[in-house]
Amino acid sequence: MTEFLTLEQSIRRFAELTPDKTAVLCAGGSITYARLWESVQSRADELRRDGLEPCRPYVFRASQDIDFLITYCAVHSIGAIAVPLEHGALQDNFRAVYDEVSSCTFAADIADILYTTGTTGKSKGVMLSQTALASCADNFIADLHFTADLLFIISGPLNHIASLFKIHPTLTAGGTVYILDGMKDLNAFFSVFELPFRRFATFMVPASIRLLMQFSYDRLCALSDRIDFIETGAAPISSADMERLSRALPHSRLYNTYGGTEIGAVCTYDFNDGRYMEGCIGRPMKNSSVEVTEQGGIRVSGLTIMSGYVADPDSTAAVIVDGCICGADLGYVDAEGMIHLSGRSGDVINVGGYKVNPVEVENAAMSFSGVKDCICIAAEHPVIGTVLKLLVVTPEGAELDKRALAQHLKSCLDAFKLPAYYESVDAVQRTYNGKVDRKYYRK
Amino acid sequence: MEDKKQRIRELLTDALPSVNLDSDFLFSELDSIGVVTVTVILSNEYGIELDSSDITPKNFMNLDSIASMVENKLEGK
Repeated sequence: MTEFLTLEQSIRRFAELTPDKTAVLCAGGSITYARLWESVQSRADELRRDGLEPCRPYVFRASQDIDFLITYCAVHSIGAIAVPLEHGALQDNFRAVYDEVSSCTFAADIADILYTTGTTGKSKGVMLSQTALASCADNFIADLHFTADLLFIISGPLNHIASLFKIHPTLTAGGTVYILDGMKDLNAFFSVFELPFRRFATFMVPASIRLLMQFSYDRLCALSDRIDFIETGAAPISSADMERLSRALPHSRLYNTYGGTEIGAVCTYDFNDGRYMEGCIGRPMKNSSVEVTEQGGIRVSGLTIMSGYVADPDSTAAVIVDGCICGADLGYVDAEGMIHLSGRSGDVINVGGYKVNPVEVENAAMSFSGVKDCICIAAEHPVIGTVLKLLVVTPEGAELDKRALAQHLKSCLDAFKLPAYYESVDAVQRTYNGKVDRKYYRK
Repeated sequence: MEDKKQRIRELLTDALPSVNLDSDFLFSELDSIGVVTVTVILSNEYGIELDSSDITPKNFMNLDSIASMVENKLEGK
């Protein structure tokens, strides 16, 4: 078995080798490797005093700052399990997760539990081992070339794999992380490039890339000799966007990475190759094996895959078969051995990298008195890409009160599950046996 | 100015029903979809060009500051 350094071992190592080097930056300040390691140890002592023990879960909201990282690493230092939830997680959701994980026992190697959308509309806790985290970091270091002189900008929420799993390779390579609070303040994003670093890189979902190109293409072009690489993923990026980004940054490596909470980051494709192949995810990364089954499903195995779902052995057994995970994505392999995605089975809607089960949104809407029937579908936003749209049938004689319905949904759903559009319709299309006909709305 | 503010309120109430438009921390209330939505709506309604240098917490602080930004853009056209 390959031995990897954990994130905490790496921080400790660089705290000795390069104590004064900046490990993490954010709008509120910065911290060196030495100070970060001290803070992690100090926080670990506090958590121990509060009763946290090895193999026990610690549920917390993922703030978008250095404090998050200190807590995250401190939990691992104790041998406990980090369960980071969305920063704005509703109290009911927080309590439900807390109750679920508190009633379970866990294997000694579990490091993280990340909650993701399940196929039934109920979130599932994905258990990840230290080996899975460290081998995923090793995939990035080997294939995307994270190095000690890199400043990696993280703008996405830190409870999401796409952002959280960039902290690991950056700090394991001895680089510096910049934590940005989202991409809506593009001026804050551009100001990071004024910092005295030689190489810059970032991860952005395709929607953020589109946002950047829409509102600040010239400013992006001006950074062409500073951006070492940009990685995207979590949702499809169009060939046109690939080409436009490549023209803005002709010297940068531009990766489309394929991964997921259950499988880690497993495949990547540098689309700055003049071909801009839409749907292409390239070849498997160092510690991963990715194949396409006879039925066209993408099957993943290797060190980065999850250990299973929390308190759900049936779902775990259904998803992990002979050490492989076969998800809902479909694909094929081309003559060069490059893997391409060709679609996705199932009803989950991908909104900017968040997988949303429409049933959950519909159930929340149906609990509102002004909704008689409804369906949540995918719709196209002119800039952002895929967003949610709720088609609503109102009770007879009533008009759709968009504002009241939106406020109701806001009170019971996470922010990324809120529809962007609402429309009043006469009826929801159903199949012969009365089920909502989702295929009808995909036409 | 008041007419413009009222018109912007109508447009945004329809497009962003879950957002509290009376907030003085509007930029914090908006996510990236919300920011883009406001920008696209204002560009279409008033024929102005907005880019990343306009999308600041100060300009998006509340409806007054948004209306003021639109006024300035229109004056500079």
